[in-house]
Amino acid sequence: MSIVQFENVSRIYQSGDHALRALDKVSFTLDEGKFVVILGPSGAGKSTLLNLLGGLDSPSEGKITVGGRDISQLSDNELADYRAATVGFVFQFYNLIPTLTVYENVKLVSEISPNALDAREMIDKVGLLDHLNNFPSELSGGEQQRISIARALCKNPKILLCDEPTGALDSETGVMVLKLLLEMARNYGKTIVVVTHNQNIAKMADVVIRVKSGKIRSVEKQPNPLRAEEVEW
Amino acid sequence: MLFKKLLRTAGLYKAQFISMLIMITLGVGVFLGFNMEWRTIEVDTAQFFSDTNYADYRLYSKDGFTREELDAVAVIDGIDAATRYLSVNLDVEGETNKALAVDVSEDYNVSTFVLMQGQAYDPEGNGIWLSDKYAAVNGVSIGDTLSLSYQNLTISGEVVGLIKSGEHMICVADSNQLMPDYTAFGYAYLSPAKLKAAVGEGLPDEMQELALDKAFTQINLISQLEKKELEEAVSKALGKTIMLVSKDDHVVYKEAMGEAEEGKAMGSVLPVLFLAIAILTMVTTMHRVAAKEKTQIGTLKALGFKNRRILLHYSSYGLFIGLVGTALGTGLGFWLCKLVMSEDGMMGTYFDMPDWSAAVPAFCYPVLAGTVGLLTLISFLSVRQQLKGTAADALRPYTPKKMKKSLLERTKLFDRTRFGTKWNLRDLSRHKSRLAMTLVGIIGCMVLLVGGLGMRDTMAGFLDLLNNEISTYTTKVNLNEAADPAEAKALATELDGDWESLSGISLDGDTVTLDVIHNDRGLFHVIDEDNQRINLSDEGVYLCLRLADRAKIGDSISFSPYGSDQSYTATVVGYNRSIMTESITMSDALADRLGISYTPTAIYTNRDAAEIGKSDLITGRQDQAQLMESFNSFVQIMDAMVIILVIAAVILGIVVLYNLGVMSYVERYRELATLKVLGFRDKAIGRLLISQNIWLTVVGVLVGLPAGVGVLQWLLDALAGEYELKLMLGPLTYAVSVLLTFGTSLLVGWMVSRKNKKIDMVEALKVAE
Repeated sequence: MSIVQFENVSRIYQSGDHALRALDKVSFTLDEGKFVVILGPSGAGKSTLLNLLGGLDSPSEGKITVGGRDISQLSDNELADYRAATVGFVFQFYNLIPTLTVYENVKLVSEISPNALDAREMIDKVGLLDHLNNFPSELSGGEQQRISIARALCKNPKILLCDEPTGALDSETGVMVLKLLLEMARNYGKTIVVVTHNQNIAKMADVVIRVKSGKIRSVEKQPNPLRAEEVEW
Repeated sequence: MLFKKLLRTAGLYKAQFISMLIMITLGVGVFLGFNMEWRTIEVDTAQFFSDTNYADYRLYSKDGFTREELDAVAVIDGIDAATRYLSVNLDVEGETNKALAVDVSEDYNVSTFVLMQGQAYDPEGNGIWLSDKYAAVNGVSIGDTLSLSYQNLTISGEVVGLIKSGEHMICVADSNQLMPDYTAFGYAYLSPAKLKAAVGEGLPDEMQELALDKAFTQINLISQLEKKELEEAVSKALGKTIMLVSKDDHVVYKEAMGEAEEGKAMGSVLPVLFLAIAILTMVTTMHRVAAKEKTQIGTLKALGFKNRRILLHYSSYGLFIGLVGTALGTGLGFWLCKLVMSEDGMMGTYFDMPDWSAAVPAFCYPVLAGTVGLLTLISFLSVRQQLKGTAADALRPYTPKKMKKSLLERTKLFDRTRFGTKWNLRDLSRHKSRLAMTLVGIIGCMVLLVGGLGMRDTMAGFLDLLNNEISTYTTKVNLNEAADPAEAKALATELDGDWESLSGISLDGDTVTLDVIHNDRGLFHVIDEDNQRINLSDEGVYLCLRLADRAKIGDSISFSPYGSDQSYTATVVGYNRSIMTESITMSDALADRLGISYTPTAIYTNRDAAEIGKSDLITGRQDQAQLMESFNSFVQIMDAMVIILVIAAVILGIVVLYNLGVMSYVERYRELATLKVLGFRDKAIGRLLISQNIWLTVVGVLVGLPAGVGVLQWLLDALAGEYELKLMLGPLTYAVSVLLTFGTSLLVGWMVSRKNKKIDMVEALKVAE
């Protein structure tokens, strides 16, 4: 069953007389519970795509449907509610709140998400229960990213959106994080969309969407994706 | 090239640069303005006093001085000039409630005037030299004729010149009048020849001389001698004790110097507060700007710029702000000074002087230079901190301090608080200098508001007290000093009035006023420290609060009236709040028992001025409403000062809070973007930002309120030599101060939180911390 539908979606950035088409009439659908990788070089439009899907931005043209709801015309507040209830983000640079502890960072989302899960349980699942009262600055990059995953999942979103989630990590930690991401998503039945320029990560995906110059070049289904530890870095 | 960078960087951090500029401008302006005000009073009055040969000492005798007595005094070693002098209040004929102080300086070498228009002074002249301000207000011109009456005497003459005199620079009829009111009272000079003709009309020559001797009740002196020295020399020369009053006790000099002292007191609190806040703002802001510029500093370093060059470049930021701010502040200072010290300014309604300048106290120059230096040093030190280590270190972005849990954060209660509360509390504990500056801004705003509005309340309360508690009469009748005491008392009975007698006495060598009071009818009252009416005891005397340190209750004090060798001793039974004069107060019953001789100087009655018939005893009538009116114009000056303070307080609050709010917002930009991505609505994020403002405002108000009251009390104590004011704060002042401070804080909070709508979530989260 499809959870995401892009129909002729364009995102045009106007700067003076010049118009930049970051996305140009893009259409595709994503099925529920799949691990999707959006692959492309810098400037291809993959982050724009992720931002539109995540409700951080609205399309200039076209229609985006998530879980049967059209999100392309929502107001600022409706978009905030959409982000709170439907999507979880994992960023390249983790973006934890430095003045909140590990527990508080995860617990924070329960103030806005209607279906939030137990924060402690989520931290336990990412293996950082010992660090409950530590501040982000006291954790390694990998640990911070694990907390970021716990925070994203704690919202109990339909879709997990990850923007270069291993971009700031060494390969060993990267594998560990990817493994965790996959495991957690599978256990909790989430759809994962990862944006990356790393070809190796694509090998783990159920679906690979290749983007270039604002257009979809291919949508490729992989019936037998590799496991994280099988991927060569 | 680097100068271009300076200008562009200023554009980049425009909120910071503009707020630093405003603060330095305000700080320097208020500092300079307040200090120039008192210095200008000193300089201008000194010049005017010197131009008009203002007397250093005045000898008083009810019976007048003979020419021989003057000669005996004039030859005393150390006396530079002396003249027989007369100053007496005369009614203007054909007008109700208009009077002129008429002065005659016999030798015209002391207590003279400057001519503004018309004929020069002529000792034989038959004309009248009239106060130009009185003339302007009452539509009198040169060539008009004035008739003045005193008891049964009438003096008429043509106005031949318009003048200003140091003796009447503050033109008040008596010590109960606080502010000049030229519609009712002015002054004029006559020549000795005209005086002689008037007092001696129809008398034989030798009688004329006698009448003149009686008229000159003063000898005015210019002398640098000490009061004690002079007193002894005069008493030796004349063979009797004469009441000698130094200029320090003469209403004009005393009030002018009092204004200067008041200015100094104000100048030592508010401007220092402003300047300190301005410099503190500079410290926090420059530190943040330097931290934000860290990568740029690294780039310059990596490009091969030497540390010295980079330091010089960034120090020039402080120098630039310092120079521009000081220049603008100097302009503001002059403007503020002129707002007070000019003919049309606030002091123009109080002082009547020909020339108004703008003088800067010498110490202000090094302070201004020091401020510019300090600001340069602040930017130098801020940048030096960022320059430590290698170019690579400098290129690494600014990293906030490592987090550690404080004691508060380890408590269960803290665990249970909401996320927003935790976030704000931690933010505050990690940015202590920002927190401190915000509090200083709010407390400063509050202190200025409470101080300014409280000063007005205190004054208004004092006037209210004067109107309702002290003066409950309708008309004050001034009596001739030479009146027979029995006749004066009989007149008081006839007018169904109370009376008092004011006379000069010597208390431990100081001139103070003895106030003998008879107030059976309750038409005027004496009040105590708590502003409650005192039912005067016949068992002892009351000291005014300014004299309270002279004796404790139950102690005995001794004093002697001027012109008498007699000394009297009385027990102190209480303290009273005196309006203007330094005085010892007693009931007439006690004065009679002690055998003190006195003459009533004023009667207080409920009869209208017009109903009171002519009498030799009466020298003038003032209705109470008119007296209160002159006080009201004093309050109007106060109101203008208060408005300046309130505006300054609000600007201070807005600038400091906005600057810090923007800084806090910029520093938390990434966190705010994260919250937005997570799904927090703009309003919820705005609430987070504003709630921090509200907490700090609550703390600032709680501290600022008592601090404001404290500063006000300190000011009142500093002014105690001039007025015995009791601190009074109305509920409206509390309400307005708190509301304005909260309003300012919320306005700024709202202005800053509005920005969160424009947070670019995508961009903010792409960059590494």
